[in-house]
Amino acid sequence: MDNKVENHQQHQRQSAWNLRNIILIALIAIFCGIIFWGAGFLYTALTVALTPIGMAPAANDLLMGLWTMAGPLAGFVIRTYGSAFLGEFLGAAVEVFLGGQWGAGAFISGLVQGFGSELGFALTGYKHYDWIGLNASIFTTVVITFAWDIYKNGYGHFALPMIIGLFVIRYISTFVFGGLLTKAIVKLLNRSNAYNL
Amino acid sequence: MNPGLKLLLVMLIALEISFTQSLIVNVILIAVSLIYILLHRISFKALFALVFWPLFPALGLFVSQWLYGDAGIHFAWILFTRIYAYVFLGATFTLTSSITDLALTLEQDFRLPSKFAYGVLAAFNLMPKITEEIKIIKTSALMRGEALHFWSPELYFKAILSSIQWSQNLAEAMTSHGFVEDQDRTHYKIIKITTLDWALLIVLFAAVQAMLYFIRY
Repeated sequence: MDNKVENHQQHQRQSAWNLRNIILIALIAIFCGIIFWGAGFLYTALTVALTPIGMAPAANDLLMGLWTMAGPLAGFVIRTYGSAFLGEFLGAAVEVFLGGQWGAGAFISGLVQGFGSELGFALTGYKHYDWIGLNASIFTTVVITFAWDIYKNGYGHFALPMIIGLFVIRYISTFVFGGLLTKAIVKLLNRSNAYNL
Repeated sequence: MNPGLKLLLVMLIALEISFTQSLIVNVILIAVSLIYILLHRISFKALFALVFWPLFPALGLFVSQWLYGDAGIHFAWILFTRIYAYVFLGATFTLTSSITDLALTLEQDFRLPSKFAYGVLAAFNLMPKITEEIKIIKTSALMRGEALHFWSPELYFKAILSSIQWSQNLAEAMTSHGFVEDQDRTHYKIIKITTLDWALLIVLFAAVQAMLYFIRY
């Protein structure tokens, strides 16, 4: 009897993390990675424009939402624990292999961003695949990645108003791309019944 | 060196230098990585890209820390070299190891379930096709008079539809070639972690610790 229950639980666990869904998460991550890579010139252009006034970190924060989109998308399409993390991490890994300008830094950013994305879905118990869950994920993504940049990119050494400014820019960017855009995509998916394909 | 251990070492060092503040150690890491890459005979074009593209973020961080930071120019130089240290450390892995070997060693030596190793590998092998697919989606939208950009939901929607379809096809193709999830496999190419690999990992990581401990500038 005990054995049966365990088997059943194991079966349920396998049903979400099967070969098809793993490939699906990886494909979504790669699609996102390549689309963002195509927008990479935007980052360079923004950085060049902002460097003379010393506000280059703002370019990082302006585009943060775009870089952290694969997480919530994968989290919404494959609704189980770990999918947002894996999607976001693989999305970053794509950049490394395409020869992005971050090198090993992208792997670590991917880990941090993936953790941030996942935490929001975890805090809402993987039950809120709606506006609440999405906002929780956005909130944790912004807080975690910003905390990381305080060390990694030296944000902690700026004056408080500038730190707050960068935080607000990052929040808006993540809200627009990770929130509004993801919501629009999920709406299209729902209307098309694509989950049942 | 075993690709899995190499990646582990690179990530450990990159993680560590994100928190430490030693200009000289950053420069040493860049130099050692550069020598390692050059020994593997990379093309001049790849080397140029490695030096050129990170210049923008590195310079951006430098100027902003210099103008507005409270830690002075020394810290600005640390951030500048940190970006390059990430890039060159990463290059020692990406320019000299294949993603296939990484997947194989992760499965065989790091006990990653085979469905993750081969599933993700299968998807990564589709990368050229995915680039193509994005072009097709954009072009066919253009023919209907719609321009799709990276902020258009339709672009991602269609990308996800393709992903759903392809993942189904790939998974079925793999199953019909005899791939069974969660079952022991035999391997055509066996990758082992040798004692030398472990020794290199430990010695190199210890060397970085020693440098970070003794070189404070």
